[in-house]
Amino acid sequence: MGEPTILHADLDAFYASVEQMLDPSLKGRPVLVGVGIVLAASYEARAHGVRSPMPTRDALRLCPDAVVVHGHFEKYLDLSSQVMEVLEDASPIIEQISIDEAFLDVRGSTHLLGTPSTIARCIRARVADEIGLPISIGIASTKFLAKIASARAKPGGLVVVPFGAELDFLHPLPVEAMWGVGRVTAANLHRYGIMTIGDLAAVPSGAFSSSLGPGASGALHALSWNRDPRVVRGGRRAGSIGSQQALGRGLTDPDELAVVVLGLADRIGRRARKKGRSGSTLTLRARFPGPRVLSRSHTLSSPTSSTAALAELGGALLRRAIEGESEPVTLVGMSLSNLSTDDYLQLELEIDAGDVLRAGSTLDLKRRALDVSVDEIRERFGRDLLKLGSAPERGVAPEEFRRLAEHSD
Amino acid sequence: MRIRAQRDDLADVLTRANRAVGARTALPVLQGLLCEVAGTTLRVTGTDLDVTVRTSAEVEVMEEGRAVIPGRLLSEAVRKMPTGSVTIGVSDTDIEIQGNGPRFTLRPLTVDDFPVQEDVVADGVEVDGEELAEAIGQVTIAASGDGARPILGGVLFESSDSGLRMVATDSYRLAKRELRGVGLEGTGLVPARGLRELPRSIGAAKVTAQLREREAVFTSDKGMLRLRLIDGNFPKYQSLLPESYPSQVVIDKDVLLDALGRVTLVAEDHIPVRLKLMEGGVEVAVTRQDVGGETEHLPGVFEGAEDEVSIAFNPRYLQDGVTAIHGDSVRIRVIDAFKPSVIDSGAEDEFLYLLMPVRV
Repeated sequence: MGEPTILHADLDAFYASVEQMLDPSLKGRPVLVGVGIVLAASYEARAHGVRSPMPTRDALRLCPDAVVVHGHFEKYLDLSSQVMEVLEDASPIIEQISIDEAFLDVRGSTHLLGTPSTIARCIRARVADEIGLPISIGIASTKFLAKIASARAKPGGLVVVPFGAELDFLHPLPVEAMWGVGRVTAANLHRYGIMTIGDLAAVPSGAFSSSLGPGASGALHALSWNRDPRVVRGGRRAGSIGSQQALGRGLTDPDELAVVVLGLADRIGRRARKKGRSGSTLTLRARFPGPRVLSRSHTLSSPTSSTAALAELGGALLRRAIEGESEPVTLVGMSLSNLSTDDYLQLELEIDAGDVLRAGSTLDLKRRALDVSVDEIRERFGRDLLKLGSAPERGVAPEEFRRLAEHSD
Repeated sequence: MRIRAQRDDLADVLTRANRAVGARTALPVLQGLLCEVAGTTLRVTGTDLDVTVRTSAEVEVMEEGRAVIPGRLLSEAVRKMPTGSVTIGVSDTDIEIQGNGPRFTLRPLTVDDFPVQEDVVADGVEVDGEELAEAIGQVTIAASGDGARPILGGVLFESSDSGLRMVATDSYRLAKRELRGVGLEGTGLVPARGLRELPRSIGAAKVTAQLREREAVFTSDKGMLRLRLIDGNFPKYQSLLPESYPSQVVIDKDVLLDALGRVTLVAEDHIPVRLKLMEGGVEVAVTRQDVGGETEHLPGVFEGAEDEVSIAFNPRYLQDGVTAIHGDSVRIRVIDAFKPSVIDSGAEDEFLYLLMPVRV
């Protein structure tokens, strides 16, 4: 039967860990994210009893040495997306439930990647090495138990609940450990002498119908016996693939900005293709001094992951964003969303055959063939061998490759 | 104006004219139906500027005149009156609809705001109404609903060797239908959206069709439908039609449609249906990673250079095409998995459906 295959992966004190990563002087110190209200607290602060959310004033009373920071929310989104990409490498059946946690079912990946605990160790190592963040993972036979296990694993750990040992693991835990049991429900149960999940399991289902309501009472009882029929709903990650480039004091020249867009399109396209995904909505953000951010987006009739299409669309969005602007652009970000797996491509009749934005058109197919060759070359010889065309001093101008690909049929 | 007529007769002319009235309109007055009474005739006009429907009925006229009345409200109100005769009376401020008890009072819209309707003489060629409705049903399935590609939202009308040819494409599929012996003059790109309204607005046994410089005009004893032509050039579709096909299979149409009905249970969204043409017929299969699959073999007559040929299609597009075929059998002609296939009835027929495959 092997090991259970449901993983719950949860980043440890996510916002606070990011702050400690961005500013190493914060490492090992209590950190509070959020001025006014604590949105997240590092483990060092939690040791003093700080919880989130809590007024910052109260938190500082508990932990006077704490450093209060504003938070870098764009950075959180970006890093979250990177972490989810690592998770997606482990299994396509992934259900992201918040910015910092997700369920995975790895049953289809074990023949390729090893046992679930091997996969989990690999995820933890990659998230630590490639992204620099601590993540805890619980493995169990149900989502309910995996979530409890990851909470037990924190910080920075891995807990596996083997088949057959579920109830031994579950029943000694306090009822508060259950997903869905808050302070009020716990107090309610305590009044009847129900302290542990085992206590709850020992009373008949429906015993608390009057105090908790029949639905909640039955549900909690089922969970106390680890009966949780919910499956990991894969492929539902709304998600996006994005990249951004800061431009120092800024650029105003449309040609130079077009090169930036091309670079972003290249990065996003490559990452999307590596994941076998396409997206139909492209959003471009342009930041101006101030800072002031303008955002423009467009949704295509069919999804794409082609670098050429993303560059063309990104260029058009950028022109719209900077129209009438005299100030320099200090940052350009692009993100591809409305993602779908791209196993299938509806081909087009030879109408508008030269429109690269039409997925399945003749030109699109040629550009895709080019993407495949460029990806292969980079995979084999390293990313730096091929840079995109508008920066000839940086390497081989791929326009030649484009022509090659377009004439190769 | 003041008229009286049987509820069902009134409801009929109002409801059909109201088919041209859109839910959202450029001008508030376009929410209304122009009702004009002269002699013994009530004439009703609804328009959204692109599509105009005019109907008329003989009624009992107490007073001539004209008014613009909110279209949906008027036609629904009349339809919901008790059976029997209904009176519509218009004063300067109010419209009264009454009969056998109930009485509606509606506010009129401003008559002078209603776009002026240039009168056209019913001229042109006569077409069998049933055949025209059938042809419209067959070709409009392939027209595009993508507002960004207005030209593909049209049906090309052009004269051919045998008569009138109608063509539509959304760039994934193309439908072509010949109406033999219909000598319609000229060429025009007629909006599919308006064309679909023809059977329900002025459908009759005989319809007269006419292509004018800016519009297509269809008339019958039920009224007149005017469609503003789409500007632009329709794609050169002739070159899209393959000249020869190495493989083909002929199968029973209902058997294929039943199979596609089962396939679409599994194949939602963009999951393609895979066909394998081979000796003895065609294998139809669909698989979906997280759901499961369905597969079956349909008997048929296969001819081909290769032993078998595989191709995948969007199941809905395939279903549309097969449904549009008239006759008992369907012929699917295939070049390869990346080139357009052609679906028709197998006989040298008036209807043809060209479909691009899905790359898997």
